[in-house]
Amino acid sequence: MPVSANTVRAEPSGARLLVVDDEPSMVRTLRTNLRGHGFQVETAETAGDAIASYERKQPDLVVLDLNLPDGDGFEVVRRIRAHSGTPIIVLSARGGETDKVNALDLGADDYMTKPFGIDELLARIRVALRHVARPGAGAEPRITSGNLVVDLERREVTLGGRTIHLTPTEYDLLKVFVTNPNKVLTDRMLLQQVWGPDYGDESHYLHVYVARLRRKIEGDPQDPAFLMTEPGVGYRFRSEEL
Amino acid sequence: MRRLIPYAGAAAAVAVTTALIDFVVGRAQIANISMLYLVAVLVVAVAFGRAAAIVASLLAFVTFDWFFVPPTHQLVVADAQELFSLALFLITAVVTGTLAARERARAQEAEHREHDAKVLYEAAFLMAEPDLERALVAVAEHFRAALDLDAVSIEADADILPRPAIAARDESARATLRATGSELRLMDPAGPSRTVRLVGPTTARAGRRARLVPIVAAGARVGRLAVLPRAGAADLGPADERVLAIAAAQLGLTIERARFRQEATESEVLRRSDDLKTELLHAVSHELRTPLASILASAGSLRQHDVDWTGRERDEFAGAIQDEAVRLDHLVGSLLDLSRIENGTLVPHKAWHDVAGLVEDVAGRMRPVTAGHPVRLEVPLDLPPIELDYVEIQQVLSNLVENAAKFSPAGSEIGISVGRDDGNFRFAVRDHGPGIAAGDSERVFEPFVRLARAGQGPRGVGLGLAIAKRLVEAHSGTIWIDRGVSEGTRIVFTLPGRAGVG
Repeated sequence: MPVSANTVRAEPSGARLLVVDDEPSMVRTLRTNLRGHGFQVETAETAGDAIASYERKQPDLVVLDLNLPDGDGFEVVRRIRAHSGTPIIVLSARGGETDKVNALDLGADDYMTKPFGIDELLARIRVALRHVARPGAGAEPRITSGNLVVDLERREVTLGGRTIHLTPTEYDLLKVFVTNPNKVLTDRMLLQQVWGPDYGDESHYLHVYVARLRRKIEGDPQDPAFLMTEPGVGYRFRSEEL
Repeated sequence: MRRLIPYAGAAAAVAVTTALIDFVVGRAQIANISMLYLVAVLVVAVAFGRAAAIVASLLAFVTFDWFFVPPTHQLVVADAQELFSLALFLITAVVTGTLAARERARAQEAEHREHDAKVLYEAAFLMAEPDLERALVAVAEHFRAALDLDAVSIEADADILPRPAIAARDESARATLRATGSELRLMDPAGPSRTVRLVGPTTARAGRRARLVPIVAAGARVGRLAVLPRAGAADLGPADERVLAIAAAQLGLTIERARFRQEATESEVLRRSDDLKTELLHAVSHELRTPLASILASAGSLRQHDVDWTGRERDEFAGAIQDEAVRLDHLVGSLLDLSRIENGTLVPHKAWHDVAGLVEDVAGRMRPVTAGHPVRLEVPLDLPPIELDYVEIQQVLSNLVENAAKFSPAGSEIGISVGRDDGNFRFAVRDHGPGIAAGDSERVFEPFVRLARAGQGPRGVGLGLAIAKRLVEAHSGTIWIDRGVSEGTRIVFTLPGRAGVG
């Protein structure tokens, strides 16, 4: 339910966002903008405030700058993940790939690199909120994205009606992707889910299998439509069927 | 004359022995009394060496024949048996004398070698001193004294020794050896050591000889050793030559070691300054991007047409854009200041100024920033004028006052005080904010260091104190965080006051 394109002010949708950033002007801009787009907005400027505010207000989504004056945003991610699956979108300065990966590994759902376009942030917020609204994505027997259909019960993959033959590892990898649509998955997360908990640093295995999957399901493996690379971080399965 | 002493000694020894034998022969008949001469030859050999021993042998031979072998007082020997005895005596005397003299030479040689070894051993100790110049001057003096030379100079080819290390008995010797510098430089790169005859206008130099020894390490010449023997003394003996050759080898290692150490230090300095630049560049790009992120988000918001922004909301976005653009401008300006200061292109234009006027001027200019804080000035009336760059010190004070206002709660007092301290001027800016942790006292003066202080409003660019520190240092002053206050922050800087009027 995208906000209508005509310039009618959206009613507060009820989705409550917590914006955490230590830059006052950024906080102000995001608060005004997000309120204008119908969200209820809480703000915090430090990690301590963020955790307190989270516990008090129980927001539906957190936009979190990792670079906070009184410690790190990672602690905020850890504390939130300790008792809930509230989506977290982390903001970080360019060049902070390690930070992003760490935050995603800790359970953050998505990231934006500063400076970012406000439309892009809004789109990511909506995707994350929708994802929460359909928590049973992985439980559905059939997942469809464009002309790609994955039948989880029969372990069958078809592309435009044509059956695609996948090795067990390729299938397991694709399954992790399609059950986490539009979510950034770090190399470590994918390795651990597909290869097992002892893996994590063997990114080259993953790159090989992603390349094979792309050859099988992408129309143009050089310009993928499903398996998107998140440079320095991991991959994201793009799905329009949400 | 000195050279004749051994022979005089030999003659004296023979004369004394002759008198003794004469005395004994007059009273008792002792067979082979001539053997006493052998004792004399032995004594001469030990005391004066081989040549004197042989002379003594011959003298004894002739004297004995003359005085005691019949017919006496003639060199003729009547008895063939006496002749045989005399010949035997001569051979025995010469052999004994030679052997004794050789033994003496050996003992002397051993003594010399021990001395040389000691000299070199002590030199090795002196070379261990880490400061190369100090080490080489000490070594030069050590060899000069040990070998009884007039002057010793050690030069290194590489750029590790600012000037030759010279040790000299007196100023004239020093000047003489120093003046040979050009001759020294003419030496073959790794040629053998040689002696040069000094020529020149001064009589002190004319005709003197200096010995030049190349200092070689790993087959390449790394320096040169020049020695000026004692005026009037003979050239260096082989023993001294040997000591100098070993000394040159030791010096070669010392100079090489110093060169390696210097190269290692230089590359370490380069690496660190490179690291620092990279760090600064990262910090700068991060600092530039932070306001840009707000500007982009606000501009993007204004261009969104899916929401009908109210006038107040539009104002807010535009305000954020303006604020952050101003901040960017400040940042760029501060970066330029900083780079000018770091380049050293910023030279204080000093003139005499009234301290009270300066402080009041700063307080007045900073009024928009300090609004909401009472500002208290403490400037003694009897302060002498101070020589400084008005604009730069004004900026230092402004940066400190701005920080004080920014980081202390509204309504709290900001104090600016000036005092005299041992002829220097001591400025202090005091606030009642959260203070600076002891561990951060040094760090706050680095660029882009902003301390974690929860809940403050506007933030600076993190360059104010870095710039202040550099400006104060350009005035030969120092700046520090005064740890003596119980709460808040007190930043103090001193400026040297030259012979004030007061």
